Amino acid sequence: MPAPTLTGFQMRVVVGVADMAVSNNTAAILTTYSLGSCLGITFYDSVARAGGMLHIMLPTSELDPAKGQARPAMFVDTGLQMLLRETAKLRVQKERLIACVAGGAQFLDTKGFFNIGKRNYESLRERFQEHGLRLHSEAVGGLVSRSMFLQLDTGEVRIKVSGQTTEQVLWKNSTPISIR
Amino acid sequence: MEELDAYINQVKKLPPAPRTLSKLLMLLGDPDIDATQVVSLITHEPALTANVLQRCNAAFFANGEPVGNVGEALSRLGFNHVFRIVAVLVGAQAFSGSQKSYGFEFGELWRHSVAAALAAQKIAEAKGDDANLAFTAGLLHDIGKNVLAEALEEHYMALIQQTEASQQSLLEVEKSLLHVQHAEIGGRLLERWNFPPELSTAVAYHHSPGEAKEHQKWASYVYLGNMIAHFMSYSFGHQAFAFRGRAEALDLAGIRSEDLPLFMIATFEAIQQVEVLFKI
Repeated sequence: MPAPTLTGFQMRVVVGVADMAVSNNTAAILTTYSLGSCLGITFYDSVARAGGMLHIMLPTSELDPAKGQARPAMFVDTGLQMLLRETAKLRVQKERLIACVAGGAQFLDTKGFFNIGKRNYESLRERFQEHGLRLHSEAVGGLVSRSMFLQLDTGEVRIKVSGQTTEQVLWKNSTPISIR
Repeated sequence: MEELDAYINQVKKLPPAPRTLSKLLMLLGDPDIDATQVVSLITHEPALTANVLQRCNAAFFANGEPVGNVGEALSRLGFNHVFRIVAVLVGAQAFSGSQKSYGFEFGELWRHSVAAALAAQKIAEAKGDDANLAFTAGLLHDIGKNVLAEALEEHYMALIQQTEASQQSLLEVEKSLLHVQHAEIGGRLLERWNFPPELSTAVAYHHSPGEAKEHQKWASYVYLGNMIAHFMSYSFGHQAFAFRGRAEALDLAGIRSEDLPLFMIATFEAIQQVEVLFKI
């Protein structure tokens, strides 16, 4: 997926469901809206001043391998592979990248039947381990839907809880901030 | 019932009744469907006709010969496609108010409703049931929120705090604050608007499908359609996930929990095709 070219002023690049964007344009803010049980995942490398955002919907492409090929960003496994590959093209290095995650909301009384949010998150933890990646900051679980923003000039990651008007910082200046 | 009517009757501004929709649903449910009746029902409203044609052309004939009238749209697209376009146009009128107290931005409840409608439609289709009925029930499942939004304005902080602190569902908190909840209000409203009983009952019990008696199946389609919409990031407002998991919905709908991701993928594809339906 090509990096969008933007000039002059800050601009929101919206990442839809089962979609991804990467960029080294420091005027861009990668944005994804209303992550319910889905996960928003951001990578940022402050040396390369580049990063990416992924909005996955399901834990594994084993559910539909053909779809995994056609639409890698729908699943944790194929989505992460693609995000790693595409950010590497912008000189993002695994050793330097700051990874954040948000979403994974859970209904009340899921009793294992409707726990897609939890399964997405567990799958993500496993894949991170496989790729030797560290998760730097997260806002996961609970009853709320969240929007996520990655500012490409600073690498700051922010969260907005659906229904609320203020944003919270999830990552800033190499300092992890723990929020729920 | 009386309590619901009493509540509905004192609400200052009710959503406009989507009458064309209930009539159209009845016509399409008839095995000996009469195209001329369908055409005359739609063309009875000139503004609706113009909108239907415009959306049909934008969605399906952007690169082809456009359709010029409703009869032609029906014969080239089939009843179901035209029905869904009419349903969203008529349905949208009933959602035109603000639902700020639930934390929805403009159009968010509507986009959630269309996603839920498509998901419910996919499940009903897979089970060989009337997909238009499931679509309409999914589309209107939260109509009760339009009715309660005004009364909730002074309580919305309590809505957030009670769901968070005591792990109550939004529905339970509505009931404790207002003595009525959005599902039963919606169901009663649709009943008063002459929608078929399986549809109004499905809406009334879309958070507790096991209680929907002979219409449990329909309530389960809507319950799962609503859930799938939340699973697909069509999930908005305060405490969007504050509702209860009902495992029995799977049995009642006749699907396995492993099928849910597949219905999500099918719904994703449907949404890609009908982007035009989401614009309020």
